[in-house]
Amino acid sequence: MASSIYIIGKDEIPARVSLKENERLDWTLVCLPGTSADVSIDIELDGPGAEVDLAGLYLCRTDEKLTLKVNVRHNSGGCTSHQLFKGIVGGQASAAFDGLIYVAHGAQKTKAYQENHSILLSSTARAESRPQLEIYADDVECSHGATTGFLGEDELFYMRSRGIPEKDARRLQIISFLAPVLERLPEELRDDIVSEC
Amino acid sequence: MNDVLLKIKDLHAGIEGKEILKGVDLSIGRGQVHAIMGPNGAGKSTLSAVLTGRPDYKVTEGTIEYDGRNLLELTPEERSWAGIFLSFQYPIEIPGVSITNFMKTSLNARRKAKGEPELKPAEFLKLLKEKMAFVQMKGEFAKREVNVGFSGGEKKRNEIFQMAMLEPTLGILDETDSGLDVDALKIVADGVNALRSPERSFIIITHYQKLLEYIRPDVVHVLKEGRIVRTGGPELADRIWQEGFDGIDG
Repeated sequence: MASSIYIIGKDEIPARVSLKENERLDWTLVCLPGTSADVSIDIELDGPGAEVDLAGLYLCRTDEKLTLKVNVRHNSGGCTSHQLFKGIVGGQASAAFDGLIYVAHGAQKTKAYQENHSILLSSTARAESRPQLEIYADDVECSHGATTGFLGEDELFYMRSRGIPEKDARRLQIISFLAPVLERLPEELRDDIVSEC
Repeated sequence: MNDVLLKIKDLHAGIEGKEILKGVDLSIGRGQVHAIMGPNGAGKSTLSAVLTGRPDYKVTEGTIEYDGRNLLELTPEERSWAGIFLSFQYPIEIPGVSITNFMKTSLNARRKAKGEPELKPAEFLKLLKEKMAFVQMKGEFAKREVNVGFSGGEKKRNEIFQMAMLEPTLGILDETDSGLDVDALKIVADGVNALRSPERSFIIITHYQKLLEYIRPDVVHVLKEGRIVRTGGPELADRIWQEGFDGIDG
């Protein structure tokens, strides 16, 4: 299985990948603070039993502009795709996630899942989630979810009233929120990210 | 030891430049349960916000002495470390943070502030299980995100659970009874009653007298238009129930 970690703005990310029968791909994309980028990836599931597991996290804290376009195309039946993208957006930064799940005619027994969640740290930050589903087969299991939360004054006060200092309260929520993606990273990178939170 | 835990003198406070509390005087003894009743808009929630240090509420006049300290100089987290706990009227959702992680962070922050070592994982788990049983919460509860997707009753039980975990010196219940059915009300009341002790005081803020049937207060105050207009024993709550707040004047 090809398992890769890409740092956006630093590593070359393949723009298009085709997976043949029973091939697997496991990618984690990381966008660290201070990185503005426009990333577009196209994953083609071209043979039965192909499986892709995509995850990503982005930390945009000041004035970054990030666009993530992820197209997952189920051209063959019997394939599975997972997507989990999580972001923290603060300052005047903006982050947009465009996620397309395409299921071709006759691509039966497709399983496709997509999740994109963001937390805003300021009222001037922007997070957009634009999921798109194009499904031309009928025997398909497909789900997508998108949320944008706000780490606001009420949440902070609630935690402080339980004795958690303001700085720790912010960190606690950010780290917990990112945990499902952080778990996929090597310890050193994980520690780097946690220290940025 | 001083027998008075909390002493509020001529407290004026408000939000966004609007004065809501207009000279509150209140003295709470150690181990006592005081109920504060009053109609909507009387300033009940403002009082709990000021006691816990909510940043958007401003005190313009008066003093609050808690356990011999000037309470108004303390941050919300310092007040928690000093033993003040508020059961929120509208508990806040903290997505991404499990109850376990929340409570561990909370307890350890206080221990750190007091120069004590962190709780050992086994000690923490034992405490967690014990207090969950206390409010009849099941195992899955500890893994759930704080208040996310909780029913009204679960949110209030979660508040009492946290109160049991943190073992405050002064527990403030802000309309904990609102929106609760009788079963949940009973769990909450049993929890509070079990926590009553000579070292622990409570302020029970409520609109209705129902909760006070389950948690009998030592003293009942009526708050109206930003002032305490009447103070009496538990019988005052019963009288309000019969006559309404309009019948109670200063």
